[in-house]
Amino acid sequence: MIPEDVQELYTRLLGEELSFEPELGPLVPSETLLELAGGLKALGFQFLVYCASAHFFAEGEQPEVCMTTYRVRRLGRGTVSVAFHLRVPYGTATPSLVPIWAGADWQEREQFDLVGARFEGHPDLRRIMMPEDWEGHPLRRDYPIDTPHFPWR
Amino acid sequence: MKTLDIGGVSVPAELVKSSWADPWLDIDDYDAESDLMALNMGPQHPSTHGVLRVKLFVDGEICVKCVPYLGYLHRGVEKLCEKLTYVQIPSVVDKNDYVSPMMNELAVCMAFEKLCEIEVPERAQVIRTVVAELQRLASHLLWVGTWGLDMGGAIGGGGTLFLHTFRERELVLDLFEDLTGGRFHYNHHTPGGQRHDLPAGWEASVKQVLTFIEGRLPEYEDMTDNRIFFARTKGVGVIDPVLLMELGVSGPVARASGIDHDLRRDAPYCVYDRVDLRVPVETGGDCYARFLVRMAEMRESIRLVRLLIDSIPPGPVVGAKMVKLPGAVKFKQKEWGSAYSAIESPRGELGTFVIGEPKKASPWRCKIRPPSYHLVSLLPYICPGEMISDIVVILGSLDPILGEVDR
Repeated sequence: MIPEDVQELYTRLLGEELSFEPELGPLVPSETLLELAGGLKALGFQFLVYCASAHFFAEGEQPEVCMTTYRVRRLGRGTVSVAFHLRVPYGTATPSLVPIWAGADWQEREQFDLVGARFEGHPDLRRIMMPEDWEGHPLRRDYPIDTPHFPWR
Repeated sequence: MKTLDIGGVSVPAELVKSSWADPWLDIDDYDAESDLMALNMGPQHPSTHGVLRVKLFVDGEICVKCVPYLGYLHRGVEKLCEKLTYVQIPSVVDKNDYVSPMMNELAVCMAFEKLCEIEVPERAQVIRTVVAELQRLASHLLWVGTWGLDMGGAIGGGGTLFLHTFRERELVLDLFEDLTGGRFHYNHHTPGGQRHDLPAGWEASVKQVLTFIEGRLPEYEDMTDNRIFFARTKGVGVIDPVLLMELGVSGPVARASGIDHDLRRDAPYCVYDRVDLRVPVETGGDCYARFLVRMAEMRESIRLVRLLIDSIPPGPVVGAKMVKLPGAVKFKQKEWGSAYSAIESPRGELGTFVIGEPKKASPWRCKIRPPSYHLVSLLPYICPGEMISDIVVILGSLDPILGEVDR
């Protein structure tokens, strides 16, 4: 169930009546993202649950895609969590949500490190799990797991 | 007491600060005159609970800037999840939070059940709740003991409390050994229920253990009721509830800062909607408040297990279609699907976000949302301004598990 105030915000910003699956949330264009996130925070969604990216292969005319999904939560009794997601060609930057939720900092760094998602306006986009001289992003779907990688010993 | 309303949650007004420490502070700008020293705490430091490395810039004894470095325990669990099937994954995620493995299994199994639309029988749901609460008890027992070690001589000569809590925790591990055959890595939950049914007489031994542990809890309080302990914990490491919300920190740490939120009560899963859960909330926000919250949670867990242990319904522990083959559980839809499900682990919200590929037995992407990752991300904001010896206490009071942070 999507609360009415959230439904109203989504309808106002995305311009259509929403019949979305709550797990992934509606598809948001990059230019609306910051406005939507700011609106959600003003509605009491103070808690950024997670940010997760995934890599999808090129399909026909479509280029390789990087999908990033965010989930935010309203705390307290009768807690509600809602999600929204973006899809961009792999390697294209999406706006960073660090100015809105400070917790997005490490979340987005992890997705950058492991999946290779890019975030524009992130203050400190460095690797976090892998060594700094690691090549490639391990959670890309075509990343081989059975061959040694530099600086593998 | 004055409270402020932040996003529908009322938090104590005195804890809310106007600004936080700057995690990206340029150390050259700080004070050219002072003699700053960079100090690496970890990765082999005993108080970092594993292999966390924290780089501290200290001015005398006072920390000026704190930079955590992760990845020493990165094992690529999320990549492994892409290669394994839904049935195989629960045995791998056991090793994430090695202090509460039952919770990890439960979190991924619930997400896979939601994604693949698998029914869980009544008996399995009640058993899940019981083992989850026993696991919370064991995890908090370990925390009290190791935190006592972190504080050195502050609690009964350092090692005393540690030995006491480990003795009690061992009893809970023995219960799990009877149930699953393993002491740490249980591989108990599976999508659709449990792998093992309860052994005969298990309920009776659970009640015996609970009575024993309940009698011991006042002893810990007696041991910590001393002036040195209060001096080390009261007013140390006060955390702003608004910062906790922004960074995504939940669990006992958030409840110690006055955030009245618990997924067991607010978004019930398993059979938590049938029990009247009392959520302990403290308003101190310091290390002592976190101690009080965890002690109260242990008592609450004992009460919940007592409520449920006698009313475990008869029946199967797995759904009718469950077979123990790697490819037994499949995402059967023709379209791509995704699911997120979260539970309240001893450290906070432990969730799993999974994207299912059509007609396949392994997920396309499985993201684990560990509570400890968010706890460690707190350090750059709360450490500046504290003494080095207090940072050890604060880090211990957060209770991060590094296997879960690095995955």
